[in-house]
Amino acid sequence: MPIKTYREAINEALLQEMKKDENVVVIGEDVAGGAGTNGEQDAWGGVLGVTKGLLKHFGRERIIDTPITETAIMGMASGAALTGLRPVAELMFVDFMGVCFDQILNQTAKFRYMFGGKAITPLTIRTMYGGGLRAASQHSQCLYPMFTHVPGIKVVLPSNPYDAKGLLIQSIRDNDPVIFMEHKNLYDTSGDVPDESYSIPFGEANFTREGKDLTFIAMGQTVGICNNVADTLKKEGKTCTVLDLRTLSPLDEDSILEAAEETGKVVIVDESYPRCNVATDISALICQNSFDSLKAGIKMVTPPHTPVPFSPPLEDLYLPSEEKVLNAAKEIL
Amino acid sequence: MSTNLIAITMPKWGLSMKEGSILKWIKSNGDNISKGDMILEIETEKVVNEMESPEDGKILKICANEGETVPVGSLIAVCGKKDSSDDEIDSFIEEFNLNFKADINLEENEEDRNEKIKVSDLEINFIKNINSNKENILFIHGFGGDLNNWMFNQNELSEKFNTYAIDIPGHGMSEKNIHNSTLDELANLISSFCIANDIKSVNLVGHSFGAGISIKTAVLYPDLINSLTLISPIGLGKEIDSVYLENFINAESRRDLKKEIEKLYFNSNIITRDMLNEVLKFLRIDNVQTTLTKIQNEIIDNGEQKNNLIDEINSIKVPVCVVWGKEDQIIPSNHHQVLNDKIKIIIEKECGHMAHIEKPSVVNDAIKSIIVG
Repeated sequence: MPIKTYREAINEALLQEMKKDENVVVIGEDVAGGAGTNGEQDAWGGVLGVTKGLLKHFGRERIIDTPITETAIMGMASGAALTGLRPVAELMFVDFMGVCFDQILNQTAKFRYMFGGKAITPLTIRTMYGGGLRAASQHSQCLYPMFTHVPGIKVVLPSNPYDAKGLLIQSIRDNDPVIFMEHKNLYDTSGDVPDESYSIPFGEANFTREGKDLTFIAMGQTVGICNNVADTLKKEGKTCTVLDLRTLSPLDEDSILEAAEETGKVVIVDESYPRCNVATDISALICQNSFDSLKAGIKMVTPPHTPVPFSPPLEDLYLPSEEKVLNAAKEIL
Repeated sequence: MSTNLIAITMPKWGLSMKEGSILKWIKSNGDNISKGDMILEIETEKVVNEMESPEDGKILKICANEGETVPVGSLIAVCGKKDSSDDEIDSFIEEFNLNFKADINLEENEEDRNEKIKVSDLEINFIKNINSNKENILFIHGFGGDLNNWMFNQNELSEKFNTYAIDIPGHGMSEKNIHNSTLDELANLISSFCIANDIKSVNLVGHSFGAGISIKTAVLYPDLINSLTLISPIGLGKEIDSVYLENFINAESRRDLKKEIEKLYFNSNIITRDMLNEVLKFLRIDNVQTTLTKIQNEIIDNGEQKNNLIDEINSIKVPVCVVWGKEDQIIPSNHHQVLNDKIKIIIEKECGHMAHIEKPSVVNDAIKSIIVG
């Protein structure tokens, strides 16, 4: 099977869905990026080059560069979705959601409900999240728990290139607002990605490792960390399950409970701030439903409750690392 | 070094297999073993299966214990025709491991072996393994399968034969948009595939729907075909589990799919989550469900088998061997009763619809003996 990067997988999903459905449009800051460069061939295609090449295929009618105003992007995209298009809006860094959160929280997420099911909002919001790029407190947050908290928005965190393509195609075809969150550190990772279009249904977690001694539950970037730790532990004779949640809303509760019950020992790895995050939510879910299967207290590996530090040594200390995950696992193994 | 000693190594089941875990040793140190005996259970990412002894002899030393995961080709046990001294065994292991490191480095450079070729306007994916042997084998998988179904057969048979395994249209990595999928058209495609690869004569190995394609090919292109090995073929009776095909196509989750895939095997422990995920990945590609429905309509009409190939198979002049799992839940094994007495029939106990996966040595031996005669 062809090997592609996470970045290429996302680009290919956009390209194929735009070819398939003329109602799909891309809206965002620098998504075309032609202005000021030497011709459109050199266009950047977004701050990290994810939408590079789309302008050449679809022109400025469908690859729409916007001014620096998140409010306008979300307002425009939500309205377009309500009136028949399938926009893919890019909120460059998820940290900027504060500027346009009313559109997402109070408008887009509630159209279907408040208009008695008569309105559909097929909007996909693509955004970058996460630390590790030395980008400081306002460009390194995760914030997915805040979207997961709001009914009416689907929250997708692909952990690998195969999932990125299939889940983005599903997001575009879905009739509800979806926030599709890409971790900055994943863009250059690579894996098998079919050339054909395909979609992965929401609410289906994926077992990336299987074992008998311990279960890691992870999402987005932390899946790779847990896979590596599981591989390390395997060499020491302990086998671990890694469950990749893939979507936080809807949440695959069955697989979470199944994975927790199979080993009775759970480590949840979540890069978002530790209060009211995905780890605490899942921990509560397991305690409520599978308490009798647990053989040890649930471990959570998260950052401390502080902003993401700019200082590289401090940022490294702040983020969940393989070392921290391994230590957490060894405490209960 | 003593020539008495034989290395038993971690097998390579399919191209993507890099390592395997020892689940359980069925035989122990000092046990006598015969070729074909089940000696241990191995788990890979894709499958859990038993490994058969490659030789007659005695297990002298187990080198990989239960729970250990080792790379493909590593020494897992030393076996001998007769007893050997501990020194002899130890120096054998030492020498093996010294040579083995070199192999690991070669493995890392292993490329993707899939190839594509345009046949009858369709892009067909296949894997070939050519060693300038005289005889060619072409493997044709069944409905919903792909060329990886032959993971226990193709590598093994490539030592003595040139082997080809294809993804039939609508499957694996071959083209998913197909217009026609009758047995006649697919037989034409097999013939065109052989021409395109400059294969003048070939031994077909077909499973289920692929066995139906093989029979048709032998009837339409008798000069091309040297022999047929058919595993649980369609076309020899009316009964078939039509619900299986319907539910397979429409399975949306691992849970749904598992219920169906279990019907394929006598021992459903063979199924891993990874195996199910691979099938789901295939089903989720655009147009695959439509394509599979088209093929389903070529297999089933009103809950019964649509094709009657009894007269055709009985008229074939070249050697034919039919292998059937006695407990096949998809197509009943008693369909073999319509076959004439020139056809070699093997009914394998404790085996379901996938004899080539559940009882690979039976299938491999059948293929070898039908080709060599």
